[in-house]
Amino acid sequence: MNTAMDDGRHESLGEQTLSIPRLTDETLAAPHPPSPTHPDKPHAETADAEATPTEAADNADDTDDADDTETSAQAARDRGTSSEPSAAVRAEASGELSGAAPAEAAEEASADPDDEPQEEPSAKTDAPGEPDEAELPPSDKAEERSSDKAEERSSGKAEAAGRPSTGEAKGASAGEAEEELPAEAAEELMAALGALRESVADVRFGLDLPGAEEARQTRTELLAQLEDYVLPRVRTRAAPALIVVAGSTGAGKSTLVNSLAEKNISRTGVRRPTTGTPVLACHPGDRAWFVEGDLLRGLRRLDRPSPDAGMSSLVVVTTEKLPQGVALLDTPDIDSVVEEHHEVAHRMLDAADLWIFVTTAARYADAPAWNLLRLAKERGARLAIVLSRVQPRSREVVLKHFVRMLTEYGLGEIDRFVINESKVVDGRLPDSEVTDLRMWLAELSVDEARRAQAVKETLTGVLNSFRTRVPALAKHLETQVAFRSELRADVETAYRGALADVDRAFRSGSLLHGEVLARWQDFTGSGELMRSFQLRRRGKAARQAPERLGSFRTALRSGVESVIVAAATRAAEEVVGRWRRRAELGATLAEGLDRPSDDFLRQAGRAIAAWQDHVGELVSTEGVAKRSVSKLVSFDPESLSLIFMVAMFSGGHAEGVPHRLVNALLGAESLRGIGAKALSDLRARIGMLFDEESMRYVKALDSAGVPDESIATRLYQATYNLEVVR
Amino acid sequence: MTAPMTTPTAAAAPPARPGLAPRLSALTRIVELGPGRLDNKLLTEAGTLLQRAGDRLKLSSEHTVVALAGGTGSGKSSLFNAVSGLELSPTGVRRPTTGRTHACVWGLDGAAPLLDWLKVEGRHRFSRASALDKGDGQLHGLILLDLPDHDSIRALTDTEADRLIGQADLVVWVLDPQKYADASTHRRYVTELAGHEAVTVFALNQADRLTAEELAELVIDLNDLLRREGVEHPTVVPTSAITGRGIESLKSVIAGAVSRRRAAIQKLDADLHRLEQRVAKAMPVGDALNAPSTVDEARRMGLTDALCDAVGVPAVGEAMENVYAERSNQWVGWPYPRWIAKLRPDPLKTLRLDDVGDEIRGISTTTVSAQSAEVANAVQSLADGLSTGMHPVWRTAVHQAARSRMSQLPKALTDELSDLAPRLDHVPGWWRLLKIWQYVLVAAFVAGLAWLAVGVFMPGQVPDALRVLGDTAALPWVGLMLVAVLGLGALSGIASRNFVELGASKERERLEREMRRRVASVAGTMVVEPVERELARHHGFYTALRDLSP
Repeated sequence: MNTAMDDGRHESLGEQTLSIPRLTDETLAAPHPPSPTHPDKPHAETADAEATPTEAADNADDTDDADDTETSAQAARDRGTSSEPSAAVRAEASGELSGAAPAEAAEEASADPDDEPQEEPSAKTDAPGEPDEAELPPSDKAEERSSDKAEERSSGKAEAAGRPSTGEAKGASAGEAEEELPAEAAEELMAALGALRESVADVRFGLDLPGAEEARQTRTELLAQLEDYVLPRVRTRAAPALIVVAGSTGAGKSTLVNSLAEKNISRTGVRRPTTGTPVLACHPGDRAWFVEGDLLRGLRRLDRPSPDAGMSSLVVVTTEKLPQGVALLDTPDIDSVVEEHHEVAHRMLDAADLWIFVTTAARYADAPAWNLLRLAKERGARLAIVLSRVQPRSREVVLKHFVRMLTEYGLGEIDRFVINESKVVDGRLPDSEVTDLRMWLAELSVDEARRAQAVKETLTGVLNSFRTRVPALAKHLETQVAFRSELRADVETAYRGALADVDRAFRSGSLLHGEVLARWQDFTGSGELMRSFQLRRRGKAARQAPERLGSFRTALRSGVESVIVAAATRAAEEVVGRWRRRAELGATLAEGLDRPSDDFLRQAGRAIAAWQDHVGELVSTEGVAKRSVSKLVSFDPESLSLIFMVAMFSGGHAEGVPHRLVNALLGAESLRGIGAKALSDLRARIGMLFDEESMRYVKALDSAGVPDESIATRLYQATYNLEVVR
Repeated sequence: MTAPMTTPTAAAAPPARPGLAPRLSALTRIVELGPGRLDNKLLTEAGTLLQRAGDRLKLSSEHTVVALAGGTGSGKSSLFNAVSGLELSPTGVRRPTTGRTHACVWGLDGAAPLLDWLKVEGRHRFSRASALDKGDGQLHGLILLDLPDHDSIRALTDTEADRLIGQADLVVWVLDPQKYADASTHRRYVTELAGHEAVTVFALNQADRLTAEELAELVIDLNDLLRREGVEHPTVVPTSAITGRGIESLKSVIAGAVSRRRAAIQKLDADLHRLEQRVAKAMPVGDALNAPSTVDEARRMGLTDALCDAVGVPAVGEAMENVYAERSNQWVGWPYPRWIAKLRPDPLKTLRLDDVGDEIRGISTTTVSAQSAEVANAVQSLADGLSTGMHPVWRTAVHQAARSRMSQLPKALTDELSDLAPRLDHVPGWWRLLKIWQYVLVAAFVAGLAWLAVGVFMPGQVPDALRVLGDTAALPWVGLMLVAVLGLGALSGIASRNFVELGASKERERLEREMRRRVASVAGTMVVEPVERELARHHGFYTALRDLSP
């Protein structure tokens, strides 16, 4: 960095410290140590600067004080590790210490007699764990403000004094700290953000689980915010500040923007909701940045509002009346029936450097308004509140009540502006109503450091919010992955159970009931069994065609078939039942899958017939081993294979007729061999059938969308990398 | 003029309300039949509505509960005061202003139980002695409620407004130019209002803030908005509590509803309609009413057939027939082939498996038992056939009902049929007679052979007493007789085997009939009955749903 720049910064630093002590005096913005949850934030300077109470009048002194503070803080700890000559960077370095250290340093350093030492300990004990709120209004021209305003602030002051305040924690120069980052650090930050953006873009939530809609929305928001705001903002820090005017329908956002711009740029009216397309008003000098820049790049730029502009456009209007360096963005509402408006409004807010929140005397207790305030608080966005349409006679009551609500909510210290209900002429308020706001804008415009700080603060808040928002996304992704694997496990369990059922049926002999048993009795009792054996020396001529063999074989096949079909049916129902119990989505996915597929019966029949043939082959090729038998007796291989199957299925009855028969014919050893082969072959065939069945469920799951596990890890990684780079 | 009410009076007996009663009883049936079938949330709502309808109908029908509802700051309390003509409800600029519901009653008799039911606190109840106010006579019977808002941060934890919007007979939505298009009003309430036109009024309050043109534009916009959301003929009354504009029109709208005394019924009617729509959406009636409500004869037969197959009834019969035929051969058959076969060496004996052979031959009874997998499939296919086209929940229910006693069914079938299993070692008396006859024939054949031998080989040595034996002239006749004896044996063997087979097939038919009968009766009690109960429930549910729609 060149020295000229450094000089410039020192100057601006001076100006800034000028305004801050006034703030401290008038509005009791208690100085804070850096919040302990964000130890990496460059806060040291902040605390130093704020803790240095100087008289507003003495500009030069202030500058000196601030510099002194820094230098002594630096010297005291002797942590001049940075190669940068800039005080800001040094401050950042010291900010890496614990939260208490900078405040301590400030105490040591501030030799100013006007110090308020009692604020230091209180600031230390407060240590609020939330992102810091907005800074209070600049007060150079506070004297010019209306008496109402002064009263308001003093009441705010009184209330703020009574409780631990959540105040300003950052000095302006903190904003500069990162701007002076070495180029490669900025590069790294950009790279980390780019990686984050890519991993967020890759996230898909295929399963409509509870929370998926929110997660999808979060994803869209994150993506939009990264592209619309964070990346452009990190790339070019010196850009004009975008101030987004948001609030309820009918609160008068457009009227306010029109009045400030002194030009009818946004349509006003009695119809609710009025504004559908966001309208951006800026100084002609800033136009290029907003029209050609990357900020909100996804929106089509228009020169003037048109009724068919739609919501993905942005009207850019220039006006000389707005100071350079600040741009106002009029947004659709956050609470009307047109829900797309809420989305657009939130997208705009996500891209904002500062928020102006507009509410009215009739609305300030509305739930949506407070949801938005909560969001601002969570994001750590710089915020100013405008309470408009206040009847002059009820002004005090309303204001007091509203301030109390804000204070209870921890937002007591935010810039507030009150606009009386007054006659709107030509879509604009009387100029007197918006003077305060206009001055506030002018200050922002003039005081580059303040602006930069506000910009930086919101950016930091947004980056901080990634710490929770991105992991939340990853978490939901993991939920989806977990859900999916649970469903898959359900399928697997059910079909494994089915296979076990089949196995049990084969082993327990339960197959040999009903028709199979009757056919066996028929086969044996009618003497057919005996006839299938012939003594070898009688020759083969006498063999008759086995009459009952066919029906026995069929009975056996249909017996096995029914065992398989029953198991498959049970498994299908079990899967569907389990899926239904898990989630509503499970029921949707399982639609039409609650019974075996249509041709399952046919396939099972085919598989078993093939198995029977296979067993026949086994018996005739491998079962001839016992020569002593084959010398004496010839037998019909088909009958033998049937007897063999019966023996196999009769389970534990090793003493049964079929078992003893085949044992005698084939020999114990060869029987065991064939038995094992036949059974494992049958199991394999059934396993294949069941696999095909369970594929239907896997397909149904896959068609719903496959969340990729690795993306969750990438999200965590990207968040972590971002933190490291920051 | 205003006084907290203290004397509760008995509610008037509800007069006959045609139309609503059958629909409510249909809803009762739905609530009874729904659990486990209908979504729990919907079921709870149905129960709540039923309860509310019962309560409301029991309470004063002379009164009409009109609630002023709306967002915070829309001016409900101001309107309340303007209509009642008194400063009853505190108004203010702080938001939210009204935290508890205020009530004003025109005509006190019988209102107290109603107010108790609405849970309006005693100190927030006021009454108007209507006779004293001129022009308010038409409002006699009105209970006007000033509700808390539904959209402030306070309302997030307070459901009072929500509850009373449900309970009131007529709801006046108080909208204002700032908030009339708020999502909190429209998404939560207005979109639910389709069919409620008769009991909903929209008051566009704070009309004094607008110019005439603006107001006209806004009224048009509001009408469009409401129509888009399904409120087809919205009643929109622009009012101003400050200037008093429109208050009279609002009063007359309310008075109309009050004097008709029908708002309570119309409200319940509309609520029922909405609920019916939602239930019908969750469980479309479609042709559910065409689904079978009983198990018809063909399906019963199908089930019995399938179960008979599972038990193996035809196979048992066939086996019996075959075994009888085989066994009878030992008794009634021509003995010679049997003897020849016996000479043949037994393969089992060669394999030293005599005991196996004995065992096979010695099987004395058939065993009848059910194969559980086939039983399961039989039951499954019945349920499949019956539940085709049903809503998945009902389909599952039918399956479950069919399977409810699945674990006992195979055993029950086996037990029921086992005493029918034919004995294979049964030997009828005529078999024995025939055996004797065959042996007599054999004896005759042997005797004939002996005669022949004597006549041929030693004609001279025959004692005189048996001279005829030596008569060579008789020998051809003897030979003929031998052939005849053999033939007679063979013929009677064939004939009696035919008789055996005939008898066996008759026996088989009898057996199969008896088995089928028993299978059918077991199936009837263990499968068909539970299934029919479920089918009746299904039918009852959808009938009730049909009856629910007007």
